[in-house]
Amino acid sequence: MSNLETYVTAFTSSLLVEESALENLKYQDIAAWDSVGHMALMASIEEAFGITMEIDDIIEFGSFAIGKEILKKYDVLI
Amino acid sequence: MKQIADLPVRIIAGGSLADLQYQALQPYAPEALAFLSAWSKQLLTRPDIRAYPDAASFAYWCRPANLARLHRELGRDQLRMGRGLALHIAPANVPVNFAYSFAFGLLAGNVNIVRVPESLPAQAGLLCAVAKSLLTQAEHARIASMTSLLSYPRDDAITQSLSAVADVRLLWGGDQTIHHLRLMPTSPRCVDIAFADRYSLCLLSAPAVLAAESKALLALTVGFYNDVFLLDQNACSSPHLILWQGTDLEVKAAQVRFWSAMQALLHTKGQPPGIHAVEKYTHLCRTAIQVNGAMATPTADNRVYRVALDQLPEDIADHRGRHGFFFETIDNGFTQLRRIVNTRYQTLTCFGVEVHSLAEMVVTSGLSGIDRVVPVGKALDIGVIWDGYDLIRTMSRIIALQ
Repeated sequence: MSNLETYVTAFTSSLLVEESALENLKYQDIAAWDSVGHMALMASIEEAFGITMEIDDIIEFGSFAIGKEILKKYDVLI
Repeated sequence: MKQIADLPVRIIAGGSLADLQYQALQPYAPEALAFLSAWSKQLLTRPDIRAYPDAASFAYWCRPANLARLHRELGRDQLRMGRGLALHIAPANVPVNFAYSFAFGLLAGNVNIVRVPESLPAQAGLLCAVAKSLLTQAEHARIASMTSLLSYPRDDAITQSLSAVADVRLLWGGDQTIHHLRLMPTSPRCVDIAFADRYSLCLLSAPAVLAAESKALLALTVGFYNDVFLLDQNACSSPHLILWQGTDLEVKAAQVRFWSAMQALLHTKGQPPGIHAVEKYTHLCRTAIQVNGAMATPTADNRVYRVALDQLPEDIADHRGRHGFFFETIDNGFTQLRRIVNTRYQTLTCFGVEVHSLAEMVVTSGLSGIDRVVPVGKALDIGVIWDGYDLIRTMSRIIALQ
């Protein structure tokens, strides 16, 4: 799987959302992406890419788009 | 190897007492990490976890990345093993506490018998159900042979039998419970770790509250809400007292800003049960009789009760309330704090004051209490350093080499 596919799967499986809805998706846009959903998503991304994210990055990870930028810090290029 | 006779207990997850294999592992053993990671993942991917932020927080804490970080923090310069059998007496006031206690014991390398409350709240039941199912899987057989989550109606004979063979006991409860459990005979090298009744408070800087942008103010109120209302101030880490710092004018203005923002947030959370309001009102009357100088601050509704004091009595901790009942005072030089803090004091949350400078103040003032200094919002974040104990190190033994 490419990094993009891995990233997309983390979102679709954690937030039970369709891939087509991801591009502009932000935290709290949907019921599933509440604080609990966010924990599930962060855990899923950490595991998928074998990384441990800093707490600041977890707080800043507010959208599908921003997440890609944040992951660059962890040498994950999407 | 140790054997326990079967006792009349209800096994909720894991093995029966007779099936347990009393053989310790090293701290952060691969089998323990695999089980906890699986438990985390199964919980986080369940849609019904959404209703239980505390269960979700446990699952999040238990995730592989965090456990790996904790493992790194332990370091590898000492050869350690679990002490052996850890008996956990879980508290009734925090539904998911038993899971953390169990995880700490397991991460330290111990076999764990965890006594959970007889009537399990929904999220505790959920945690147990998922654990139970994982422990029947072949890949977690080793952990299953080291785990028994059980319950029984209060029975000193059973607790005594278990205490007699424990190598470490984690005792969570009020002072009376701890005292009672301590009277039971334990083996000479058994280590007791008592989590007794604690009291917590919050420090707010008025200038910081006044200067906060709306996003920061919202974050402060959300954090305060989580610290207080998720468990209705029943957790020992939730603040019951608020110390303000600033001039009289700054504090008055900051209180208006803070509490009206809190009210706005509380309104979005729906109507609290009538019985909470009655309890707070009764407590307010009791406080008026018992605490000199107590002045009730007028409130818009029953969600938050505030009592202002110029001078805190030394026994302020004895007057704590629940469901949103706060004492407030101004304490610019920490003179009041220094006068009241004793061993009962656990968590100091803060906003607008640096945690390091507060922690330093605790040390240089020689305070006999305060084991945690954390930002508002983090009061309930339990971890392997808790109540002043380093749990993984305390629950494991060192094999020294020359």
